[in-house]
Amino acid sequence: MSNDVLVRDTAAARPATTGRDRLQQVVHHRLFWPVVALVALLLACGVRSPGFLSISVQDGHLFGQIIDILRFSATPLLLALGMALVIATGGIDLSVGAVMAISLAVSLTYLDASSSAGSVSTALVAVMIGLAVAVIFGTFNGFLVSVLGIQPFIATMILMVAGRGIAMLITQGQITTVTSAPFKFIGSGFVLGIPTPVVIAAVVFVLVALLVRKSALGMLLESIGINREASRLAGVPSRNITWFVYILCGLLAGLAGIVYGAPTMAADANNIGLMKEMDAIMCVVLGGTTLAGGKFFLGGTVVGALILSTIERAVVIFHIPSQITPLFKAIVIIAVCVAQSPRLREMIGSVRLPSPAARKTVEEAV
Amino acid sequence: MSTTTGTATTPAPAPAGAGPRTPAGAKRALSALGKRLLDRRFLPVLGTVLTLVIMLAIGEARYGGERSFVSVKLFSNLLVDNSYLLVLAVGMTFVILTGGIDLSVGAVVALVGLVIATLLPMGVPLPVVLIAGVLIGSSFGLLIGVMVQHFAIQPFIASLAAMFLARGLCNVVSVQSLAIKDEKFASLASWSLKFGEGRDIWKINLSMIVGLVVLAVGFYILHYTRFGRSVYGIGVGDGGNAITLMGLNSARTQVWVYVISGTCAGIAGILFAFYTKSGFNLTGIGMELDAIAAVVIGGTILTGGGGYVLGTGIGVLVYGLIQVLIAREGLDSWWTKVFIGAVLLAFVILQRAISHKRS
Repeated sequence: MSNDVLVRDTAAARPATTGRDRLQQVVHHRLFWPVVALVALLLACGVRSPGFLSISVQDGHLFGQIIDILRFSATPLLLALGMALVIATGGIDLSVGAVMAISLAVSLTYLDASSSAGSVSTALVAVMIGLAVAVIFGTFNGFLVSVLGIQPFIATMILMVAGRGIAMLITQGQITTVTSAPFKFIGSGFVLGIPTPVVIAAVVFVLVALLVRKSALGMLLESIGINREASRLAGVPSRNITWFVYILCGLLAGLAGIVYGAPTMAADANNIGLMKEMDAIMCVVLGGTTLAGGKFFLGGTVVGALILSTIERAVVIFHIPSQITPLFKAIVIIAVCVAQSPRLREMIGSVRLPSPAARKTVEEAV
Repeated sequence: MSTTTGTATTPAPAPAGAGPRTPAGAKRALSALGKRLLDRRFLPVLGTVLTLVIMLAIGEARYGGERSFVSVKLFSNLLVDNSYLLVLAVGMTFVILTGGIDLSVGAVVALVGLVIATLLPMGVPLPVVLIAGVLIGSSFGLLIGVMVQHFAIQPFIASLAAMFLARGLCNVVSVQSLAIKDEKFASLASWSLKFGEGRDIWKINLSMIVGLVVLAVGFYILHYTRFGRSVYGIGVGDGGNAITLMGLNSARTQVWVYVISGTCAGIAGILFAFYTKSGFNLTGIGMELDAIAAVVIGGTILTGGGGYVLGTGIGVLVYGLIQVLIAREGLDSWWTKVFIGAVLLAFVILQRAISHKRS
């Protein structure tokens, strides 16, 4: 790990004067392949259906396939931002789909029970309650992982399964539907011509990015992911930080649930957020974050989310049966996992690894 | 059982060098140490048995009446309803003993059910279909094993990816529930031996036999073979170094435990198809948690290295009993999921407490 960092540091320190060096830098940038994949997908769609890349303005609102893609990437992006941070600490949160269902169920049940479902303040309270419940479940996950020291996938899988039961209990096994214009606005409204989900996702992204990259938090997260015990000994409050990350992930999952369910306003506890943990993990790995922890990349996660929703759109445009999408996602995840594995890089002898001489000195040192 | 498992399965906790120098003293110290360890190691399983007894007592007290709640019929029903889970849990025990996990089993069960439901109407002979079902499971296990062993991917990520793959394949096969109408299949599924009279009638059916045979085979492999010893050895958590030094093959064992778990998932898929007589792409969501819950309730340590497959058998009974009690109380079926989650949580915390004490 330290070797890897060292090599990259020296590469960055070298002045990039010649054009070839600069090209090398671009090609080796973490975002290069994800962005190439995204652009290729978009172009393929554009060629297949000519109107694909055009954006029109109706009543001051932006419309078009690209805008739809942005709108549909909001939910996976919200999930993936939290997931990326959790994965950076070496954990995972499998409960995001269930938390989506719970927070939406709570919000809509509150709206259903209130007499003034159409007023802005009621909708706001409903959202707040939904988010608060999501925070509670995030706190629960974080408690299990950071305080009790239970493995993250077991701790969060308890909620992944039990959570759906809880959502069912909240909605009494029914599909709760309500009408509330302000609540619906969250999912299908427009702010300054841009769809609300896109605005929400963008704001959240900026906030999270500022939080982790303009403070030491991001670095501390990564240090926990690399070696929890060592970072604790070095004075990093690893327990509290781990706990906080699960709370944040829960909050974002709750928000994703509300944004996802707002257009239809139906709390279907069985289906909302089903397999969404897969989408979130896929966005994260596509963006170049390794599942082994210790590194995360929020910008890449955005590209990952865009690729995900572009694939879903491409399936429609190319008239591929939509049932194949999950299979395709799964194959992508497996391929990226295998490609990321250090063993494979060793086999191929990738440029990122230290030179044989350097490795030899390391081995001698050990 | 206690003596054989005691000697066969302890992953050499304390070498003799720790004791006094004289042979007699060393022997005495070792036997004392062995006794203490034996007690500690059985503690989780004792907890399981205690849970089972308490639940049976609650059931007897609440629903006893003129016909007693605890009866051969109850256990027969528990095994008939949960034989697929027993098979899954036995496979999962192997994986968890090595310190790994297999999250793909529920999805594999769904896939096997769908494949059976698709192949049978096409006129493929029943034995071929059943073997194909089991082999589907084995190949998923092999995929996970190779990812874990040869690409050094963490087990939960590898098996999660396999779970997504299996669910994806399910969607490709069919998104509708397919009924299995094959006559031979139906006669196999409904074959049973009936005992007793009137309302106390109880039966032994094929799934039950398969479940118990898998449990017995699992017990034999884990406690009486070199492979079983390697499984416990890997669970020590040193990446298989210790057992490699002992001349056991850790790399092959690591792959095989996942193949075993996958094969068990394949068998469980067939049993589940016997049970429901249909295939559906959404069956088995959360079934992996049920299997893990049964294993953990059965006293196997989640971090690997300690546990008994017979404990897993009792864990499955506890799981089935929870369902029976919830049904008898007239609660909605979603309570089952919440309850299982709570019970699993309690046992995981219990394990943490015990292992904390030990260290």
